[in-house]
Amino acid sequence: MTKAKRLILLGGIIIFALLIILWRPTILIYGIQRAGLYAAIALPMALVLGIVHIVNLAHGELLMIGAYLTYFVCSTFGMDPLVAMLPVSAVMFLLGMVVYKVTIKHTLKAPELNQLILTFGLAMVFGQSVNLIATSQPRTLSVDYVSTSLTFGKLTFGVYDFIFPVAALIILGGLLFFLRKTRVGKAAQAVGQNPKGAEIVGIDVDKIYLIIFSLSTALVGIMGSLYLTKQSIFPLVGGPYTMKSFALVAMAGIGNLPGVLFASLILGVAETFLLSFKGYGGWSNIVFFAFIIIVILIRSHRGKQI
Amino acid sequence: MKKLVVLVLLLALISVSTVSVFAAGQGETGKDKPIKLGGVWPLSDITGKQGSEAAQQAVDEINAAGGVLGRPLELIILDSEFKPEKGAAAIERLATVENVDIFLGGMASSVHLGQIPILKKYKKLTVWTGAASHLAEEAIGEDADWYFHLHPWDYEQGGSYVDGWKAIVNKYSEIKVDKWFLAYEEGAFGSASFEASKVLFSEMGKFDGESFKSAAAGGGDYKAVLQHAKESNPDIFLWAGYGADALPLLQQSKAVGFEPALYVGAPPGWPADFGNSPLAEDVFLYGMWAPSMNSINPVSKKFYDGFVAKYGTKPATYFAPLSYSAVYLIKDAIERAGSMDTAALIKAMEQSEYKSALGETITFKPSKIIKHQGIEGQKILQWQNGRQEIIWPFDFSTASPVYPFPGWDNR
Repeated sequence: MTKAKRLILLGGIIIFALLIILWRPTILIYGIQRAGLYAAIALPMALVLGIVHIVNLAHGELLMIGAYLTYFVCSTFGMDPLVAMLPVSAVMFLLGMVVYKVTIKHTLKAPELNQLILTFGLAMVFGQSVNLIATSQPRTLSVDYVSTSLTFGKLTFGVYDFIFPVAALIILGGLLFFLRKTRVGKAAQAVGQNPKGAEIVGIDVDKIYLIIFSLSTALVGIMGSLYLTKQSIFPLVGGPYTMKSFALVAMAGIGNLPGVLFASLILGVAETFLLSFKGYGGWSNIVFFAFIIIVILIRSHRGKQI
Repeated sequence: MKKLVVLVLLLALISVSTVSVFAAGQGETGKDKPIKLGGVWPLSDITGKQGSEAAQQAVDEINAAGGVLGRPLELIILDSEFKPEKGAAAIERLATVENVDIFLGGMASSVHLGQIPILKKYKKLTVWTGAASHLAEEAIGEDADWYFHLHPWDYEQGGSYVDGWKAIVNKYSEIKVDKWFLAYEEGAFGSASFEASKVLFSEMGKFDGESFKSAAAGGGDYKAVLQHAKESNPDIFLWAGYGADALPLLQQSKAVGFEPALYVGAPPGWPADFGNSPLAEDVFLYGMWAPSMNSINPVSKKFYDGFVAKYGTKPATYFAPLSYSAVYLIKDAIERAGSMDTAALIKAMEQSEYKSALGETITFKPSKIIKHQGIEGQKILQWQNGRQEIIWPFDFSTASPVYPFPGWDNR
């Protein structure tokens, strides 16, 4: 995209945002909050897909496990979930290592279908295991600060949900720093671009895959902790986020971490825009899939032109 | 020589088999032969888990007291896994492999619709604690003498809510219900609730509503619908969704500054520890039982104390005392019948007058289609001080309603 086109696009976005603020500011407020949640959950999947090149269909179930671990820690030790996310992330990192070593590692050279089936199987095992242990009864943590709100005149809105876009920015910033500025991160980028070439120059590809997968699991575990502060959890809670994360990563393009943020913002604002019209909330489910179709068609068209 | 060895072994095998069959036969006849109850529940769900546990508790109590007609009860529990085909297969297995005498159990209407053709095939005495959908009643039909339904049908539930709110408004004149707003989950359960409520509650006042995507279906953001509800300024706000929606709805209501005078939740079940949240205080709900019933009903107390002692956990769903009641209804009917003859059992069940843990004395009357309907409505309850208190029917009331719903800053 040329600089002029970018400026026009940016100008259009600013004008749109100003119009929304004047008409229904909650669309932008809630849209950004929603986008933050989507992005923060999708970024770890984007990391794994970009480096390890597998679609982890158990991504949502790992979110669910992180949430349940946090629930267990909080209800047993009386810890705040925002504090509990630290030990939970450590446990999830170890879990990621185990999952990679025992399963993922052995399918990296297999056809992609095998990898999909494997991660799908993992999703089933995780979901059913938690169901057997905890039953399907929803679990909830009551945390006072999640209902914090601000009032400007007639407008009252919740502010806690801004934690999600903040988390998304921190995760994105952290990952970009890790990938561009650290030795392991640069090695991971090399592996992601060309695993054979990386191996030839002496990079331990298997170790990089292990670190990346475990890091992704730890990050999604942290998001599980944050998710628990706002939502009830049950064994099937993670499934829908696997699909959404995959779609956002596909929209952004494989390896494009900042693109995930942008895609999430479009999706979040579009959904809240439709939800703001009484009776049209059901259409917000369709907008998600409509966007995917549009992006894929545009990409396909550009691919043909090249 | 070889032939002789084979012959001796064959004779030994036949002898051992004959003795075993004879011995087993001896154990299976007469007073030792158990009366078999076959129960099907969704065991991965709290309703099915505790429903089956409560039924087992009742069986164990009855056996400890000497059984029925001198014979022990045996409860065989199978999992429907919330799937119609699994539920149907479970009934088939109970009938053919386990040879049970009586069927019981149930929760989801969709599963029961799959089971009904199989139940009709065997026509064994069936005491069903689940299925509220009128579609299940239509599927059972008017000729099913062997079918006894405990859970109120959906239209009976709706009717009881109207009766309940009318009675409450009548008794407590400060309570107003002129303007209603129902937020409902966009699936079959919520949509059906909205359509039925629109008809039922329109006579009480202005009725409006909007759908939301339940957390159980991947949603969980209710701010838009709550904003619209706030703009509508209702006297009574109800939501029809699932347990996963309960606390987030309250949290987001607080976040958007929505505090209606009456806040009513109608999920099939509530999350664990919901009552511990300060946001839950003074939320109304629909249900059939609460532990507060223990203070006014000795059967409820006996059930509750026994459940806690046996399982180390509190019953969290009315399906538990409902299943417990089903087993005792069966026990009483067998004693009245004096035999396991199906016709005699049906006649004995029709004579039931069981003082249940739910408060009602359960008898069986015809509903719209079937001949034997037990409980005909739900109750209106309210969370007060972390406990579900029964507000209506006033015969079972354990507390007066707290009105209006206190502001978020006052908790």
